[in-house]
Amino acid sequence: MAHHWTEAGLHLLIDRAATRTVTAMPQAVVVEASQLANLLTALHARKYRVIGPTVRDGAIVYDELTTVSDLPVGWTDEQEAGQYRLRRRDDGAYFGYAVGPHAWKRFLHPSPFTLWRARRTPDGVIVELTDAEPSRFAFLGVRPCDLAAIGILDRVLRDGPYVDPSYRDRRDHVFVVTVQCANFTPSTCFCVSMGTGPRAENGFDLALTELLDPESHRFLVEIGSERGAEILHELPHRPASASDWETATRLVHNTAARMGRQLEVRGLPEALLANLEHPRWDHVAARCLTCGNCTMVCPTCFCFSVEDRSDLTGSVIERVRTADVCFTTAFTYTAGKSLRQSARSRYRQWLTHKLATWVTQFGTFGCVGCGRCITWCPVGIDITEEAAAISGLTRKDERP
Amino acid sequence: MVKAAITTPAATNPFIPFPFVVMSRRRETRDTVTLRLRPLRNVRLLAQPGQFMMLSVIGVGEVPISVSGLPRRPGELEHTIRAVGSVTRHLVALRPGDYIGVRGPFGTSWPLQLAHGQDVLLIAGGLGFAPLRSALLSILRERWRYRQVIALYGARSPTDLLYRRDLSRWQQRPDLILRMTVDHPDQYWRGQVGVVPNLIRQVAAFFEPANTIAMICGPEIMMRFTIRELQKHGVPDEHIFLSLERNMQCAIGLCGHCQLGPFFLCKDGPVLPYSRLAPFSEIREF
Amino acid sequence: MSDRELEEFLAVHPFTADLDENQRALLAKQARLAHYQPDEYLIQEGRPANAFYLIVQGLVSIELFVPGHGPRPLQTVEGGSAVGWSWMLAPSRWEFDARALERTTAVVFDAERLRALLLEDCCLGLRLVQRLLFLVTERLRAARLQLLDLYGPPRER
Repeated sequence: MAHHWTEAGLHLLIDRAATRTVTAMPQAVVVEASQLANLLTALHARKYRVIGPTVRDGAIVYDELTTVSDLPVGWTDEQEAGQYRLRRRDDGAYFGYAVGPHAWKRFLHPSPFTLWRARRTPDGVIVELTDAEPSRFAFLGVRPCDLAAIGILDRVLRDGPYVDPSYRDRRDHVFVVTVQCANFTPSTCFCVSMGTGPRAENGFDLALTELLDPESHRFLVEIGSERGAEILHELPHRPASASDWETATRLVHNTAARMGRQLEVRGLPEALLANLEHPRWDHVAARCLTCGNCTMVCPTCFCFSVEDRSDLTGSVIERVRTADVCFTTAFTYTAGKSLRQSARSRYRQWLTHKLATWVTQFGTFGCVGCGRCITWCPVGIDITEEAAAISGLTRKDERP
Repeated sequence: MVKAAITTPAATNPFIPFPFVVMSRRRETRDTVTLRLRPLRNVRLLAQPGQFMMLSVIGVGEVPISVSGLPRRPGELEHTIRAVGSVTRHLVALRPGDYIGVRGPFGTSWPLQLAHGQDVLLIAGGLGFAPLRSALLSILRERWRYRQVIALYGARSPTDLLYRRDLSRWQQRPDLILRMTVDHPDQYWRGQVGVVPNLIRQVAAFFEPANTIAMICGPEIMMRFTIRELQKHGVPDEHIFLSLERNMQCAIGLCGHCQLGPFFLCKDGPVLPYSRLAPFSEIREF
Repeated sequence: MSDRELEEFLAVHPFTADLDENQRALLAKQARLAHYQPDEYLIQEGRPANAFYLIVQGLVSIELFVPGHGPRPLQTVEGGSAVGWSWMLAPSRWEFDARALERTTAVVFDAERLRALLLEDCCLGLRLVQRLLFLVTERLRAARLQLLDLYGPPRER
């Protein structure tokens, strides 16, 4: 079983030591699709707020799930640069789509967020913390790219010399149910190039692969932790067979084979930093609206601004953190002037941070290949195309 | 004004400021003051020359300000602040007895240990003299550790000179070479008129470029021209240190604003050797 | 002040130090040493530009007398530098004042004789013109930086 997967899978997964390692095959069982409702019940019984994909306003977003019918059953998405629409499937797949505009950071690093509150009293100004009881989340449907993104945010916000306490308090308790990517066409995705998918090997409590055919609808469930095992044992299940693994492997292989985008990452940071005055920057700047959509949908963008807000009487003051965007001129405002005024310099800052300087800072790329920035850019700027044009690098291996 | 005492929970949370009180206020120029601060509780925030604190006016905001002096008693802080925005305008208006929130210390410090046994060049432009003053005071406290100590200072005009009492005392010291210049003199000024890089040539006889540590702070253009002049004199890039300034909001490397290429200036700076910055120095708006 | 002693000054002054001995000897013949008291003028606006000054020691203020405002200093020149290049483009008049702020010593060249010497000895002429150009570049660079008012209050957005 183990070596069957390795033969099929290794030539697809480029081992990026910084982001992932291929480990031994986790223990796996098979669960009927109808059991998903019981999984939800079990999570609720343990006082988790279950967050997962749901259809709203013409997109698949992440929100609180009360029942299994909140999931986008039978929906898929069609994504391209600057385009997103939903379409009905002709089957009842629960997870047959790529990622939507939401990322898990909206729950782990919420914005706006009150860092602390101060009250003016007769005894003076008293500062108090307001984050007493952060929610316990269970994330249902974390794609491998998004799981890698959470790992990247961990390095930035939790594992460095300074810890963001609000991030740590939310992140450390999250119950993660990953969904291995299958049953859809990944048009703007390039997780294979970034080494983050379409399979996750670890970092989850449970990982589901949806196996759907006219005769059966079931999930291969990989167990990634003790508390994952503990919840799973409340559901009827049977051990995964060789044929279950074969089906799962083939489905994920198909996803990898149909990747919509590619990016050569070997040598990319150096090549980008050696081309900071490349004429292509002007070309992209002529199109870029500096709207910041890309940063808002990006699962790893973490920048935030801090400001003091008070009520009208000035007796209650809050120091508030809000998500910020490096595409604004205000982002670099220092002592009376903005240091990055041109759109060119701001786009360059974003791209070189994601794909070059992030590596120096945190040891990994800042990009996981989820494709959101390509889909949600109103003018359809494609990060893989821009990076390739500026670095001059192209991927040499053929897609299978 | 924050006339009321500030109480904060024990700072296990790096975003929460400590309460300090203003002990003294000295007006340096029309828009700049130096404040000396004392902590309310038994807390010691030990800052090295070159490091900065985040100073809060609760309800208005928080700004990064370098330490500009040495504490006379443990725990005290000294900061020179120029009114350029809403928070600094409030800070400049504080009076002794007012309260202020302080977080820190943050950032890298001036390479004083590296300068032991070397010639030292401190080159300041305008408000850039504030972070260098703490370095100079620290050097003068242990003067015997250093060879030649040279301070060059350029200001906009004679009324914009900071630390005038210190300057007069320093000019009397035989173990310190101090040269000053202004861009725009008034009718009483009988000193030099011109730019700081010009001062370097005048003191070239006093320092050995191969054994010199240079520390520079001022507007970026001033630092750029100063570096060129130092390079012409043969000071190696690894021995030229700058203090840089960017938008800083969290000071702990989490908010992303202070980035300059791969560097978070709140963690990897604000003091950096020019050798690390050289690859990016010619890139506009980087 | 003998030619020999003047040659010694020229041997150490940065403007002439790396000329060869013969060239310095030629120059020394056109020069004299001058001393100025504080507030004495080396150069006055409007007068014929007929001298070139190598400042040996002291401080000289380059300024313009503005009616209603008095003398407005623009730059100062210290020992090791030089003052005045209008003499090169004869006939011309000085456009600025140069006033000693401290006791100042200068090696002063007669411009007419210096111009004749440079025409005769083109090699020396070229070298001096290069040094003058360098001097003008330095002054212009400083003037431009001063114009930027780098230390001034930040401009509004």
